[in-house]
Amino acid sequence: MNTTQTAQDDEFTVEQARRGNQAAFRLLVERHARVLFRLAFRMTGNELDAEDMVQETFLKAWKQIGKFDGRASFGTWLHRICANCALDHIRARKRKQDVSFDATEPLAAETPSPERIALSAQVQAILLPALDELSEMERAAFVMRHYEGLGIDEISAALGVQQGAAKHSVFRAVQKLRKALAPVAVMSRTAQGKSV
Amino acid sequence: MKHLSEEDLILIYYNEPGIRADTRSHAAECTECQAAAVALRRTLDLCNEWDAPEPDSAFERTVWAALAPALAEQPRRQWGFAPGWLAPKIWVAAAAAIVLMAGAFALGRFSNGSAPARQPIVAGLSAQARERILAISLADHFVRTGMLLIEISNSGDAQNFALERTRAHDLVEEGRLLRQTLVLNGKSATAGFLDDVERFLLEVANVPDMVSAEEVRRIQERIGSNSLLFKVRIIEANLRTQGQRL
Repeated sequence: MNTTQTAQDDEFTVEQARRGNQAAFRLLVERHARVLFRLAFRMTGNELDAEDMVQETFLKAWKQIGKFDGRASFGTWLHRICANCALDHIRARKRKQDVSFDATEPLAAETPSPERIALSAQVQAILLPALDELSEMERAAFVMRHYEGLGIDEISAALGVQQGAAKHSVFRAVQKLRKALAPVAVMSRTAQGKSV
Repeated sequence: MKHLSEEDLILIYYNEPGIRADTRSHAAECTECQAAAVALRRTLDLCNEWDAPEPDSAFERTVWAALAPALAEQPRRQWGFAPGWLAPKIWVAAAAAIVLMAGAFALGRFSNGSAPARQPIVAGLSAQARERILAISLADHFVRTGMLLIEISNSGDAQNFALERTRAHDLVEEGRLLRQTLVLNGKSATAGFLDDVERFLLEVANVPDMVSAEEVRRIQERIGSNSLLFKVRIIEANLRTQGQRL
């Protein structure tokens, strides 16, 4: 189902959920849970935390659905709640000095070549700590732009900031990640050159 | 034109709208900027090496199973005083009672030949307010009916219909009260549509708890062949508009 179709279907269903219809809210959970899981996972870097974030997001959405004004799509509104839940979680985790990612997170689901596995491992070893070094806003904006494919306008709506601020958060995140990933990029280019 | 900035290249990489035409044409012609774009793409593509795990197929059900008890503990404020499915019925019954009282009062006044010059006012409500209450109550009734129709339409194969049966039964009761009010107020067209809806709801209310795949399909076809859901939505929208105008 495409984004426009989802947004149109959401309109009617959200209206029912606002009236307290749990069956309607369940439909919204079924439509959006998977996307929110990916966002939460990329924000927190941990699968179990991501599942908790999804629960928390929907619980908050249920409590606050009366405040949803329909200016942004319901999906964008959920992204906003989920991103804020994840940011709170990251702050709490940082306070506990527990900043490392789970290095055992799975790689791609398909069976890649040994070279590809090695490259993925190298990238993740650098990328995940680099993501953790980004500011909360930079990380959220980059994850939404790069992994979730949200436009700058949607990111600004989801994060509740001006479009310029959302854009610059993406720029700064990309600059920092480029710097961190530069050695792997060189190795990757060299390997590609050799294989050609 | 100057060479493109890193920001321009990032916007082009993500295909953001609003990139100026001269920026795009420069990117297409300038070898130096193309090399910079390739370098950027190579690095950003590396970020795709980090895949998010795909939750299992039961993920949505698991989320809902954990969520549902928490939602039940926090009923939506709109119903405040009465939890769950009971609340709409109380609201409709109260609204219908007010309109019924008003209708009965008006009939009594007209039948003894001493019709008042003014509109009857019952329980402090004007005729317009009563019309609004009736329109909104009907719209809410059709919303609940529509949700039931959607859920039945999306049902899979053979399944337990106990919940749907109970809801259909409640909607039949609610609809009868509303139809009585409509008839009393001379709104026969909407009352007639409520009749049509009631016939369908009665069928659902009378199915056994466990319904075969064939029976589910038959009920779904009944919804489709009569465009029942479409009609319910249209009439609900019209009533909602009418209620807002009053």
